[in-house]
Amino acid sequence: MTPAQAPRATRSHADELRVEKVTKRFGGLKVFEDLSFTLAPGDVMGVIGPNGAGKTTLINVICGRLPPTSGKISLGGRDVTAKPVHTLSRMGLVRSFQQTNTFRPASVSENISRAIRFSGGSDEVRERIEDLLGRFDLSTRLDDQSDKLPYGLQKMLGLLLAYATSPKVLLLDEPAAGLEGRERTRVDDFVAHARATLGCSVLIVEHDMDLIRRLCPRIMVLDAGRVIAEGAPAEVLARKDVIDAYVGATDDEVPA
Amino acid sequence: MEGFVNTALIGVSLGAQYALLALGFTLIFGILGVVNFAHGGFYVLGGYVAYACVQHLGVPYPIAVMVAALATAGLGYVFEYFLLEHLIDNHLATLMLTLGFYLVMATGILVVFGPESPEFRFPISGTLRSGGIYIPLENFVVLSVCLLTIVGVYLLMYFTDFGRALRALADDRPVAMAQGLRPGILFPAAFGLATGLAGLTGALVTPILSLAPHIGDSVLAISFITVILGGLGSIGGATAAAFIVGMVEAFSSVYLGGSKGALTLFTLVLVILVVRPSGLFGREVRGA
Repeated sequence: MTPAQAPRATRSHADELRVEKVTKRFGGLKVFEDLSFTLAPGDVMGVIGPNGAGKTTLINVICGRLPPTSGKISLGGRDVTAKPVHTLSRMGLVRSFQQTNTFRPASVSENISRAIRFSGGSDEVRERIEDLLGRFDLSTRLDDQSDKLPYGLQKMLGLLLAYATSPKVLLLDEPAAGLEGRERTRVDDFVAHARATLGCSVLIVEHDMDLIRRLCPRIMVLDAGRVIAEGAPAEVLARKDVIDAYVGATDDEVPA
Repeated sequence: MEGFVNTALIGVSLGAQYALLALGFTLIFGILGVVNFAHGGFYVLGGYVAYACVQHLGVPYPIAVMVAALATAGLGYVFEYFLLEHLIDNHLATLMLTLGFYLVMATGILVVFGPESPEFRFPISGTLRSGGIYIPLENFVVLSVCLLTIVGVYLLMYFTDFGRALRALADDRPVAMAQGLRPGILFPAAFGLATGLAGLTGALVTPILSLAPHIGDSVLAISFITVILGGLGSIGGATAAAFIVGMVEAFSSVYLGGSKGALTLFTLVLVILVVRPSGLFGREVRGA
């Protein structure tokens, strides 16, 4: 091994997210149990399941907003179970939010500079963000107050704020929820860009099955806190138990 | 005309004092989501610390004022860090805690200094005159220090990373934390900054007005009214509202008689809140 290779090998190991037998209960209510998976750098994994399956709680537990009842979460071999949100964010484990995405009273550019500054980002990050701002039609609205933007653009700005912290692991909570068809492909663009420029892994909780199929080589299906299927979308989404799990869900949640 | 200008000068002086109190109060509400019922207590404590330094330790007044500001800032920091921080999301608990802390402070001052107003005089006196317009020298000094401090608070909040972080926490705590900000460090600092402003105001103003253990009540009331008028959590709103309140108080007491000041003020606040429930400069009701 040459000296130049050694740090790179260490770095990729340092970015691996490992979730081991994690259980979350609220009092007597079990949200999920014995959940385990690994995300290596560059991996994209989708988590799907009907409402109430525990998907957002899973993100909340991984990002440190809620402590797990049992189990272990590690990032690059370091135990990060129940570490606070800000510590994990500084270590590169960053989430986006389903609804609250941005600093609402602040302008678009102020939002971006805050995210870069708070996470100690460099000029390089700023340049990459400018590229993304252009792609998402945000570069002409830098002075607009962020909560005055159309909903779709607010969502994209929320994703950019997560990107601006240069994460190693990105946890996206329903990034396409509430977006129009054309806007949804921006999420694809964003995930591809984040993987290419940051080399990060991405965990996506989403109801849009087309998006999941396009983006995720691997998916995990949660139902009532259990993993009922795991694997490539084509196989998993064809399984009868997976389809049954969605019965009773609204139309756009049914795997087509 | 001269009477009008003189009254306006009183209004500006009052407004500058109220602005320092209201800025601290609104920072605590905006950033921590806490209504600080102990705010008046820090004002009174600032006055007594300055008094004790001057009277008992022979410290020059300007240094006594700085000691008072630092002491109240330090006490605020410690109070937030050890007590308030653990209950920060429980509104009823923070209400009880700040109210309780106010009572402890007021009673402590009563025990240590006694119920009578101490003899605490501003070290300089005299009047600045220009034609029929005049302003007492001590008011002029206090006004200048207050205005400089207000400018300082603005520079801190809008041109430093510390201020940027505090405003980000006020805008959206979960998003700010997801970007790596640490409320555990920033909240006590914000609280200390705010209580230090209250202590500074107390040390500056009580030698001109009065100093007694119980005066925190009216200080809290003025801070509260000002901040509600300006829009809870708004920095610019609190400053503008403070000067409005100062002017209303000055003009109504001069032209309508002393006791009408408070009445006019409360009537004005009521009317404004009916027309604009989120205050003059407030945003619509904040999301959860």
